[in-house]
Amino acid sequence: MTALALARDTEVIDAPTLRARVEATAHRQRATANPSASLNVLTCGSVDDGKSTLIGRLLWDTDGLPADQRARLERSPKTALGTPDFSLLVDGLAAEREQGITIDIAWRYLDADPCRLVIIDSPGHEQYTRNMATGASHADVAILLVDARGGVKEQTRRHAAILHLMGVRRVVLAVNKMDLVGWSQARFAEMRAEFEQLAARFGFEEALAIPVSAVLGDNIARRSPVTPWYGGPSLLGYLGGIPARSFGADGDFRFPVQLVVRAGQDFRGLAGTIASGSVGVGEEVVEPISGRRARVKRIVTMGRDLTRAGPGRAIVLELDVDLDISRGAVLATSGRAPIVTRSIDTRLVWLADEPFAAERGYLLRTATDLVPIARIDVRAHLDLASIEERLASTCTANDIAVARIELGRSAVVDRFADLPGTGSFMLIDPISGASVAGGVVTATEGRKAMEKRGTFRLTRELLARGLGSDLAQADSGADQELRRRANEVAILLREAGVAVELEDAWSEAGIDAAAVWLWLMAVLSFSFVGAVVLGLV
Amino acid sequence: MTAPPTHLDVLEAESIHIFREAAAQFRRPVLLYSIGKDSTVLLHLARKAFYPAKPPFPLLHVDTTWKFRDMIAFRDRTARDLGLDLIVHTNEQGRAQGINPIDFSPSVYTDVMKTQALRQALDKGGFDAAFGGARRDEEASRAKERVFSFRSQGHRWDPRRQRPEMWQLLNGRLGSGETARVFPLSNWTEKDVWRYIVREGLDVVPLYFAAERLTLARNGTLLVRDDERMALRPGESVAPKRVRFRTLGCWPLTAAIESDAADLDSVVAETVAARVSEREGRLIDHDEAGAMERKKQEGYF
Ligand SMILES: Nc1nc2c(ncn2[C@@H]2O[C@H](COP(=O)(O)OP(=O)(O)O)[C@@H](O)[C@H]2O)c(=O)[nH]1
Repeated sequence: MTALALARDTEVIDAPTLRARVEATAHRQRATANPSASLNVLTCGSVDDGKSTLIGRLLWDTDGLPADQRARLERSPKTALGTPDFSLLVDGLAAEREQGITIDIAWRYLDADPCRLVIIDSPGHEQYTRNMATGASHADVAILLVDARGGVKEQTRRHAAILHLMGVRRVVLAVNKMDLVGWSQARFAEMRAEFEQLAARFGFEEALAIPVSAVLGDNIARRSPVTPWYGGPSLLGYLGGIPARSFGADGDFRFPVQLVVRAGQDFRGLAGTIASGSVGVGEEVVEPISGRRARVKRIVTMGRDLTRAGPGRAIVLELDVDLDISRGAVLATSGRAPIVTRSIDTRLVWLADEPFAAERGYLLRTATDLVPIARIDVRAHLDLASIEERLASTCTANDIAVARIELGRSAVVDRFADLPGTGSFMLIDPISGASVAGGVVTATEGRKAMEKRGTFRLTRELLARGLGSDLAQADSGADQELRRRANEVAILLREAGVAVELEDAWSEAGIDAAAVWLWLMAVLSFSFVGAVVLGLV
Repeated sequence: MTAPPTHLDVLEAESIHIFREAAAQFRRPVLLYSIGKDSTVLLHLARKAFYPAKPPFPLLHVDTTWKFRDMIAFRDRTARDLGLDLIVHTNEQGRAQGINPIDFSPSVYTDVMKTQALRQALDKGGFDAAFGGARRDEEASRAKERVFSFRSQGHRWDPRRQRPEMWQLLNGRLGSGETARVFPLSNWTEKDVWRYIVREGLDVVPLYFAAERLTLARNGTLLVRDDERMALRPGESVAPKRVRFRTLGCWPLTAAIESDAADLDSVVAETVAARVSEREGRLIDHDEAGAMERKKQEGYF
């Protein structure tokens, strides 16, 4: 009887190990369910933790590598352990490190049974925050690589914080170079405990620690016999079992309209990719800004019409009535409605080399809309080391900021935590066109919220009945006059200290957007509306 | 819900999304059609993206005058059958100067007949965006390429002006003098392209399939002499061999491989079992180390 077997017989199973085993079983069951067809995997780690070796090893162990490259590697100098130096497969990119791309993430593709793995590699050097955030925005799962000799360092904490911010919900801690710590179970258990604490703090959906040796291949493609005390899956085993991109499949339907497709005399369809949820022929859709509704007549794709389409499908919707909408609109179905708002609370990563400039007049790029911004208030920075917010009023490259963005007109968004596809955005410099920041919506100042706080909403209908009753209907000159009066009423109300909101259909048609959210100090009552007022500062 | 999407479905949807974003954001896009398998898939996806309408942009082929005759025939037939607007451009100064791939180094030839020709055509058409079929898996220097790749004045690729791309958000707002290249196939691999051709039943140029062709062995590669412009050197002779091509370009610069794969299925089988990487067959890439990188900076794809 070997010592190893003895050790196993007397092994005390601690709670985390037990959990890992249960997870491993769950993982096996899940694998038979509906594995993802394509999985985006972000790799992150500090310099020398073995990231290049790990990626090279994944290429080697799957079927992503042409034989000429394989042969070349076999002929190349070996590592200290006598294995091929897998990092050479990845270092083909070394030359580009000097070419100075501002944000560089590298993409690699490998066919692993049962799915396509897309490896997104973000470099770990000093500019890592914006690089990693960019990479993480595309990731379904992240591998945090650490050196078994170093422990879970501050760097790992920072990485976890970025993953959390960008909405990555599955994280693997690959404890590498286990061969250099004698495959110590105790060392691994210690690191796993630290990692689990971290994972709990960020509320990751799945957090798994795996003991590996990138250079030797243990627990990479297959479970290794040198870690009998580890009950979980190998790295590729785990990745291969991750279910198809689940978020949004049964979530609320969101369809950001990319463009209008016209064909022949009669056909007018709305082209777009379903951001979340699904839609079927005959179902009712609503455009949240106008509140107008229509039914889906056809779901068109080349080749055949569909009766139902789910998240990620690129389709053309033909509706039974023309909603007169175009690019930038978002269609929804019943269920939780999207938020129509002019003010969003956000977290954003500053990407540009040029710092934030308050007077710059940035544009907000949502799924398909481009919205003018009235004002951005940077309020705090997230300190990645302590994961606490510190007051701040500007930002520069690599800062993660908390900011409130006031929009020049209404936009349709969701909270990122609810629906990532319609809850993320980029900030665009209007002159250079550069993408200066990327961010997520954390909260919104929705219509309803404002109403509760005493905002008076001026609707067209309200004014047309009284103040505009002398004006002829359906006359464009009259419409203009009504708008002018609305504007005047808004100014009066504002001076009276009433927070006023104009109905969207109007404000877009020409009323100065800056006159829209108005908070003043004085409190006054206004007889014909009887508004209740709360002073908001 | 219907059957779960395969990874080809995922790629297809992503490419369609990219086509639509570009068409919505750029004023005057054009599709660079180079006739090969990638262009075939690119064009098919463009048609899907705007169906039932036609793609709202023309096709542009930069004709070096050294393409295989089969390619030109295929190009013209495709444009005619699909009823698409095809622009063919040749660098006439280059042609007048007699720049050719036999007497000139591949880098000079490529610069004049491809890179400069492309710039001329884009400027002439006033195109602010050009769709290309480049993939990130083709070559190491492309692994970091963006989906929307920007060119400053003079079509130069400036690494510092490349924009980070997050989520599915594509930012096509041009700065002054800027134009864009758009790569809807960024995340496709060579295998994906072939699998998709099979799945969609697409026609490709017959040169991709093995047949007996008159070949010439030169500099360790097999060439197929498509016309008489390439003179035989002393001691050289042509011999019939069963060959096919993995990539298609100018025939004096495109190496054939010996193969029995005479139909789609066997080509796919051969590709999936690929023994060498795809670009081994492109002679221009061996011209100089780092050639690709430089070509990109100069405006060649
Ligand atoms: N002993 C041992 N060495 C490793 C392992 N993984 C990587 N290394 C070595 O660690 C060094 C750094 O690896 P590399 O992949 O270049 O690290 P990167 O900077 O994170 O990409 C190299 O010398 C590797 O051979 C491992 O699992 N065990």
